[in-house]
Amino acid sequence: MDPERMDPERMDHDLDQLFATARDTAPELPDSLAARMVEDALAVQAEALTSPAVERPVLRIGIFRQFLALLGGWPAMAGLATATVAGIWIGMSPPTILTEGASALGWQSVSGEDAYLVDTMSIFDTLAGEG
Amino acid sequence: MPLDALSNLNDDALLVLYANGDPAAARLLTDRLGPRVYAHAARLIGDRSEAEDIAQEAMLRLWRMAPDWRPGEAKVTTWLYRVTANLCTDRLRKARGGHKGLDEAADPADDSPSAAQAMQDKHRRAALDAALGQLPERQRQAVVLRHIEGLANPEIAEIMEISAEAVESLTARGKRALTAILADRREELGYRDE
Repeated sequence: MDPERMDPERMDHDLDQLFATARDTAPELPDSLAARMVEDALAVQAEALTSPAVERPVLRIGIFRQFLALLGGWPAMAGLATATVAGIWIGMSPPTILTEGASALGWQSVSGEDAYLVDTMSIFDTLAGEG
Repeated sequence: MPLDALSNLNDDALLVLYANGDPAAARLLTDRLGPRVYAHAARLIGDRSEAEDIAQEAMLRLWRMAPDWRPGEAKVTTWLYRVTANLCTDRLRKARGGHKGLDEAADPADDSPSAAQAMQDKHRRAALDAALGQLPERQRQAVVLRHIEGLANPEIAEIMEISAEAVESLTARGKRALTAILADRREELGYRDE
């Protein structure tokens, strides 16, 4: 029969009946398949429980990298290098403002070099030597 | 844990117990989910022996995925229907022969309510399976999930990863196509105009 000429409600009804039949007569799980499923489940379970925990790759960091990380990485290292070079330069050729500044602080008679003199033997070392 | 206590748990909880090493959970999950996976595979692929392979593979993937399962995020059945459908699609594409007839020899014996009724039911189911096999894959999947598995559109949408509107459209077109395919077999299937 031409589907176009059929009553849509009747066609829907017939189809619903077919669906109901399909639901009621669902293919049953064969016993052998159920047994294989359980067998797989127990095998996978046993394997998961006996296998060692997944080893994570160990992250090894060299001493230099650790030091670099401690400073704050390459940007901090660049700043440190600049400060070091500037320090050496100031030490070799102290600017006039530095010696004038020292004079202003009360070191009237010192020369430029005197401003950098450091007492390398403190009074505590002397006392310790005397006992 | 005793089987009675386990049977009150939902699939999510059972899967967690399974992942923790409870063998009873494996058996109960197989009892609950195995028949649904197998029936769904059989309806989509139309071949019982292939459906067995697919159902076993789908369940194997479930067992392997169990340790990573996050309870409450999705339904286990939704995940399984999706995996089953994908496996069926892969098989059908590889076969390129499309839908195969149901293996009649594998049908379980059905004595109720009468031999004649049982024969007719079997005949109708085979006709429906054959008609479903002529539908495009997505239409077939949507019709089976909606009208045979009895799922609601939002869950079907989640399984098929499409919108609920798209599910509605697929099932409507699928039903129209089935009606057209089966129209000539109404009398043969025992449907008569009154």
